[in-house]
Amino acid sequence: MIGVTISRWTMSYFAAALASLVAALVLMASGYGFPSDPIRAPETLVVVHLVAIGWLSLLMCGALFQFVPVLVAYPIHSNALPLPALVCLAGGLAALILGFRQLAAPVGPEIPYLALAAVSLVAGFALVLWNLGRTLWAARPLPLPARFVVVGLAGIAATAGFGAIFALVLGGATANPHLVEAAAAGLPIHAVAGIGGWLTFTAMGVSYRLLAMFMLAPEHDRAGTGAVFYLGAASLAVVVLGGVAAICAGRTLTIVLSVAAVLGLAALGLYGRDMIHLYRVRRRRAIELNSRMAGVALANLAAAVALTLALLGAGAFDRHVGAVVFLAAFGWLSGLGLAKLYKIVAFLTWLESYGPVLGKAATPRVQDLVVERRAARWFLLYFVAVAGGTVALLADAPLAFRGLAGVMATATSGIVVELLRIRRLADVAVALRLPDGVHRPLLLVSRARQA
Amino acid sequence: MTTSFVDVDVRSILRAGGEPFEVIMSAVNALAPGQGLRLFATFEPTPLFHVLGARGFSHVAKPIDGGDWEVLFQPSGAVRPDGAPARPASGDGAWPAPVRRLDLRDLDPPEPMVRILAALEAMAAGEVLAALLCREPVFLLPELAKRGHAWRGGFEPDGKTYALLVRVGDAREAAA
Repeated sequence: MIGVTISRWTMSYFAAALASLVAALVLMASGYGFPSDPIRAPETLVVVHLVAIGWLSLLMCGALFQFVPVLVAYPIHSNALPLPALVCLAGGLAALILGFRQLAAPVGPEIPYLALAAVSLVAGFALVLWNLGRTLWAARPLPLPARFVVVGLAGIAATAGFGAIFALVLGGATANPHLVEAAAAGLPIHAVAGIGGWLTFTAMGVSYRLLAMFMLAPEHDRAGTGAVFYLGAASLAVVVLGGVAAICAGRTLTIVLSVAAVLGLAALGLYGRDMIHLYRVRRRRAIELNSRMAGVALANLAAAVALTLALLGAGAFDRHVGAVVFLAAFGWLSGLGLAKLYKIVAFLTWLESYGPVLGKAATPRVQDLVVERRAARWFLLYFVAVAGGTVALLADAPLAFRGLAGVMATATSGIVVELLRIRRLADVAVALRLPDGVHRPLLLVSRARQA
Repeated sequence: MTTSFVDVDVRSILRAGGEPFEVIMSAVNALAPGQGLRLFATFEPTPLFHVLGARGFSHVAKPIDGGDWEVLFQPSGAVRPDGAPARPASGDGAWPAPVRRLDLRDLDPPEPMVRILAALEAMAAGEVLAALLCREPVFLLPELAKRGHAWRGGFEPDGKTYALLVRVGDAREAAA
């Protein structure tokens, strides 16, 4: 074990992710995609993938390149592979968006954008999987949070696999009857494996470790945490393996999805109990903004579960699935992502800038890089707008929803400005900002220092 | 086998809820060349295998009466089987007793890293610092290596406390 160094390209991933989020919110505010367009319209697909791949997946990949080594106390397999992976993912996303626009209005040059997107995105995610997979493999036996990440990586493999089939079928690159069948019936598997498996399950695993670290809570695995892992992994296995079997057998996915939902909800219930326990037993009484906002994101996850149950009970789930996905994507995943970014960017920037001179010169603390009171207002505005947006979707009020998406775009831009100020050390007292031997960090790339 | 073994029994320390890491490491440091260590513990001390393995000790563990374990640590040469010197133990075998001890288990990260690096700057080459942490200091270890310090560390058998020993390097960058 020789420790963990700063991941060189993580800041580039974060920048691309935030740009995608702001772009998606601006599109939503301008009435592009759901609810102004139908939920399966190409315009909606543009927004959904800008959020799912551009924002959430790039954010997750950037964070995992830095924090999988922390989870397993083992260096990353390659510090060079993240760059070609980012190029493939960003290029693939651009091709995907152009492909969806082609579907919406088949004009312009006949370039097979969707097929290009399938190839490029699969290549990008394969590079990510290879790099993280090699790191995890070398670090066996894995602690429990890292095993969540392994299941999450299986989730992105399934999601990208189905996505590639859809892209090839929709783009007309294949007419293979099995693939056409998979494309016709596989959407729920693609969505659940992506949102539930890749994004939510990975975030859950990482949250056990990061929240404990930032709140000084004991990290010892509780009996319930193992149950969260096995129930959640079983739920995802049922969706992906059972779903594929059902499609091959020509059955509907109803039974498979119902079984997976019961397992998944049980896992989320126990996870919620673990998180409440973590906040209660923390030794740090006054917690930082990132932990408070992560708490709000967790409350949004609970709200999304409650909304799902209420809609299922009322027989209105299919009609309002858009509101549930919106709340899960923006209240839970994006909320948690923005909250953790606020801490991670500050910590990595501090470590990169001041690590080499710690003990040799007076240096600021990590918290001297941030101004929480200013940022708290943007976070508050963001979460209020998400709650309002969910209500607007449930009430079928697309104009109100657009206004609230605009508020979310404004709040997110405010948070982005705070992150830029952190990266530029703009809020550090001048006397402490640049001691001898300290360079202002580059905005998008970290100078990885070798021991 | 002609290896002679020094007996170290940490069962009473463990049963009293204590931390035997430093006792074990000082016994290891006091071994003569070629000497081995016979350790008695209340469970199989897996983390120690890693720490002592990095210092060139092979081990044979066997359960004894009452659920306790006896482990023989035997010097297998100063290098690992792959021929590369064990990195954390770069330098030599015996380390002097720590001149500074820090209990940093109640501090927020990254404050333990700041305190350790600051303490090391005030110490002379060859002196040893002992620190107790509540997690493996993954971001600190590369910085120690970069500054030319040697370190040894591992979790206590209870898995809750990470015990770190740092010996200030001779080749460290000149601090004013």
